[in-house]
Amino acid sequence: MIRVGVDVGGTFTDLAALDTETGECIALKVPSTPRAPEQAVLDVLDALARSDVAFLAHSTTVATNALLGQVGLELPRVGAIFTRGFADVIEIGRQNRSEVYNLFVRRPRPLVAREDRLTVVERIGARGEVLTPLDEASLARACAELRARNVAAVAICLLNSYANDAHERRVEEVLAATLPGVAITRSSAIDPQYREYERFSTAVVNAALAPIVQRYLERLTQRLRERRVDMTPYVMRSDGGLSSAQTIASVPAAIVESGPAAGVIAASAFALPRAIAFDMGGTTAKAGTIAGGSVQLANEFEAAGSTHSGRAIKGSGYPVRFPFVDLAEVSAGGGTLAWIDEAGSLRVGPVSAGADPGPACYGTSDRATVTDANVVLGRLNPVALLGGSFPIDAARSRAAIASLAEAIGLSVEATAAGIVTLVDAEMAKVLRIVTVERGLDPRDFTLVAYGGSGPLHACALASELGMTRAIVPERPGIFSAQGLLVADVVVHPSAPLLCDLAATSIDELEAEFVRLESLARRSLIDQGVDPKTVTLRRTYDARYAGQSFEIPIVHADSIDAIEQAFGAEHRARYGYDVAGERIELVNARLHARGKLPSASLVIPSAARSAVIPSAARSAKSRDHSFTLRSVWIDGAYTDAPVYQRDALPETPIDGPAIIEQYDATTYVAPGWRCSRDAEGALVLRLRAARCAQDDTVESNGHGDRA
Amino acid sequence: MTDPITVEVVKSALVYASEEMGIAVRNSAYSPNIKERLDHSCALFDARGRLVAQAEHIPVHLGSLPWGLRRMLDAIERECGGVREGDMWVANDPYITGTHLNDVTVVRPVFFERALVGYAASKAHHTDVGGTAPGSMPADASDLFAEGVVVPPLRLVCGDRPVAETIAVFTSNSRTPAARAGDLRAQIAGNYTGERRLVEIYARYGTAVVEASIERSLRDSETRLRAALRALGTGVFHATDALEDRNGKPTLRIVLRLELRNDGSARFDYTGTCAQVPMPLNAVLGVTLSGVHYAVRAVTDPTIPMNDGCFAPITVFVPEGTLLNPRRPAPVSGGNVETSTRNADVVLQALAQAAPGRVPAQSGGTMSNVMLGGTRDDGSSWAFYETNGCGMGARPNADGLDGIQCHMTNTLNTPIEAIEREYPLRVVRYEFARGTGGSGRYRGGEGLIRAIELTEGNAQASLLADRHATQPRGTRGGEPGACGRHALVREGKETPLPAKTTLPLHPGDVLVIQTPGGGGYGTST
Repeated sequence: MIRVGVDVGGTFTDLAALDTETGECIALKVPSTPRAPEQAVLDVLDALARSDVAFLAHSTTVATNALLGQVGLELPRVGAIFTRGFADVIEIGRQNRSEVYNLFVRRPRPLVAREDRLTVVERIGARGEVLTPLDEASLARACAELRARNVAAVAICLLNSYANDAHERRVEEVLAATLPGVAITRSSAIDPQYREYERFSTAVVNAALAPIVQRYLERLTQRLRERRVDMTPYVMRSDGGLSSAQTIASVPAAIVESGPAAGVIAASAFALPRAIAFDMGGTTAKAGTIAGGSVQLANEFEAAGSTHSGRAIKGSGYPVRFPFVDLAEVSAGGGTLAWIDEAGSLRVGPVSAGADPGPACYGTSDRATVTDANVVLGRLNPVALLGGSFPIDAARSRAAIASLAEAIGLSVEATAAGIVTLVDAEMAKVLRIVTVERGLDPRDFTLVAYGGSGPLHACALASELGMTRAIVPERPGIFSAQGLLVADVVVHPSAPLLCDLAATSIDELEAEFVRLESLARRSLIDQGVDPKTVTLRRTYDARYAGQSFEIPIVHADSIDAIEQAFGAEHRARYGYDVAGERIELVNARLHARGKLPSASLVIPSAARSAVIPSAARSAKSRDHSFTLRSVWIDGAYTDAPVYQRDALPETPIDGPAIIEQYDATTYVAPGWRCSRDAEGALVLRLRAARCAQDDTVESNGHGDRA
Repeated sequence: MTDPITVEVVKSALVYASEEMGIAVRNSAYSPNIKERLDHSCALFDARGRLVAQAEHIPVHLGSLPWGLRRMLDAIERECGGVREGDMWVANDPYITGTHLNDVTVVRPVFFERALVGYAASKAHHTDVGGTAPGSMPADASDLFAEGVVVPPLRLVCGDRPVAETIAVFTSNSRTPAARAGDLRAQIAGNYTGERRLVEIYARYGTAVVEASIERSLRDSETRLRAALRALGTGVFHATDALEDRNGKPTLRIVLRLELRNDGSARFDYTGTCAQVPMPLNAVLGVTLSGVHYAVRAVTDPTIPMNDGCFAPITVFVPEGTLLNPRRPAPVSGGNVETSTRNADVVLQALAQAAPGRVPAQSGGTMSNVMLGGTRDDGSSWAFYETNGCGMGARPNADGLDGIQCHMTNTLNTPIEAIEREYPLRVVRYEFARGTGGSGRYRGGEGLIRAIELTEGNAQASLLADRHATQPRGTRGGEPGACGRHALVREGKETPLPAKTTLPLHPGDVLVIQTPGGGGYGTST
């Protein structure tokens, strides 16, 4: 039997497979097919050529790409029903513009055209009271209009429906009867929280995606069956959990950020209490954190929105209120271009040469990229990449950087080193955003560096943030795909409370959670989870009365204990608490997860074993020899040893050194020591920190740099 | 010479430090106005008081914070013998700090190896600082004192301990004391973050390298802005527009003469602007500067790093005693919102003559301020403030956006479901005002209609808006946008209300706020 994870990225689709009998790990890569996304999944399975697939999980960009306007994934015509007088809420949004100084700023295109926004006469009050009963005649007219317009999906968006969903339910009933076959999303079902714009937006995004995602999953399942892979595929959600294809078909809004989540889940399999997962590819670098042993989530994001210096720009996309892995992303990767600005300064990014034309050394462009800088510095192989299969033109890299060097009056090497320094500074920002800006101290964290370019920059970034430990997984290039093999099935049901903590009773709260738990268990079991593995965690979104910003706190057994927990959390996050101030519970949330039987069968103890690499186990005879290459370090060329990843010596390697493998290159900087752990990951440690601790000075001629 | 790569890294670290200050303030703020609406800004200055890096969320803080910092330091020097290590200063006197009483400025002198190397400063909008009306922006104020407590520079932190008496000045003069203390604490936290980062940068790179980097960074911004201004050509351009007085007449004129010179400098001369008025529409000079810098940045190149180098090519002359440079104690609360908006219109109008095709038609031209407050049936009191978006002017290549914050502000609306939970109010309508955008080749944005009903108790409404009599202009044959309007619906009968007014509300009364549309661009075909 074989378990398969497929990570569908923007350029490549990666496969990681684990043979449950032999323990063999297989890695494959094929080009992605954005216009027909299931094709790449099938292509990579065809390349695997195994008929005993017992489990298939994949992350997908189908939802994001559809929202971004991908050709071949055109969004359907979507209708919506609003409370009369409020049809424009969905377009007004929060009435801010996404770029303050841009006189030509645009709004994201409304997913529901104005003529497809219908209204009904009704009104629910803030406490759930019916102010105006639902007018059936206006509802019948709205349904008839929508039928005439031939919409493929409808969102139901009534004011205060989080407090009383009766009117929305009635609208749903009539719609289902009048428009059979049309995907219907009810706002009070998909996101039962207050703040109307965000709830309506979540409902509309879900409605718009439903037909596309349903069609995609049906096609995928069908074509898998044709290949005699007769099983339910699982899909990675934005929160890093898995859902079965049937479950996700009705809540596609939960997979909008499916793509980047898997890598952080893979990093969490190292079972580190605190880690930063850092993924650097060809065009972007992303970071997420693991703290207290769990992946850090946030509750709202803007789908298809833009970012500025790694932070999401409010108003640039479509708000979706679903938990997602809290990632910061910056436009910086191997293909990022270096250039000279109007004031004559060297700059790096945000524009990228992408995969095509790619860096100058690929042979078709003359513009210098970060990869070219690494080639000039001798960190990247100057002859060929991808295990020798992809020849590169180092002279072209040098020529491209020379033209920049001339403009700023530095040597070619100093300019290349400058490009690397600048891109490292840019990427250090995203690491700071997910730690310092979230109240976490990065010095307590381990950096897990992956993606094609991550291991090359790991030491520099760790040093920049004062971190002393980094890990390069066995297969950095398919690490995200491996995350799919270790993920749990999850559901996150929530309920609005909006109550005064002091005025509620623990029994009422308990009853709410019991209700959510039965929902959650049923859903997990329906998705094939082994009931014995289900774990549940109860939390609240809470705040001081008058604040508009909630913080998550863990449920406790008494009202007093909840109050104390809130005070402690507020103090930890913001540096103070206000004794005696009224506390409001805004939402109750249940975090439920469980394992699939095949997963617990294969991985009896630690999830970690799923990322056990094959190479570390199977390479019986090793050639420990290395070659020497001239590498530019701190203003001079030094001969540094270049090792092959599958033929590393038993003893630790001190930097500077380079470790090459098929899908990535690791640069061990001076002052860093690299060893391999029992399971084959590279562990990089800053030697200065060791020296300080055990008071022994190790000398290899480079160690004194740190 | 310091190597150019290190200079770039230090430049970027300084910008990041100011952004991190802003996030620290937001994270530890108490009130929604800062935490959610982001009505605050943070900046780092060098020892000479020159702006090094600024993270501002709303343009009206753009030029006013640097202007205010210099005047605040002068006042501290004059009255208190200068700054000392371990202290932090606070002030909200608009004639010193540069906007209105709600904007409280907190400054931390930063020392490295016992030498003053710069300042970390923040400005945040506190929702209530006293005065005759909740929200501290009474539409009928005739002097500054009606608008709230006026605080000159005081020590907020002394020897790295918060000064309780100073905090008490704010809490005992505010209708929302807990939030005042919480927000001041957030500003203190932000300044400490800025100080920590600035000191780290000095410790890592050394004073000489940091100073060289700051010089380079200021010079780069100045070079880029001069190049961008030079690209507009040279010439003298005139622009004028007006705000409506209490009688609805457009008598409050702003007159501007802009001269672009071939050295890439620009001179803005406001001679001819009307005299200051005994109503809260006067804009202190800091606000006037913000409008100039906002418009210049938007029309030239918004990617130029914001620092003192961006101010160097620009000179602004405003005669004293006028609407845009009033003498104390003229009231100023609305200068920050309405007058700053009109000033931006005027500056854009002047720049449009030099840069045709880069400036949209006029936007709605008002922040449409709504201040409501009163007593519930149970006797508890409440206060609510919001601004409303309007129609954006059409662009040379696209329609204007509908119902959106334009130019000098960018704060968020309050969710209807939050309003209805927390206040005795019900929103009965929130839609685009169809047909209010000026037609043209590209249509101006539509205004908004927001109708709010009082559900219990008693209340007072204070409305402060503009463009109820004069329409936002179109450009190149585009039609003007429609005017805004206010109305009261009582017992089914609708009565028009003035743009600037204060009135009592009874349960069941509905206030209807309609904001202006934007002007169209180009002739309709």
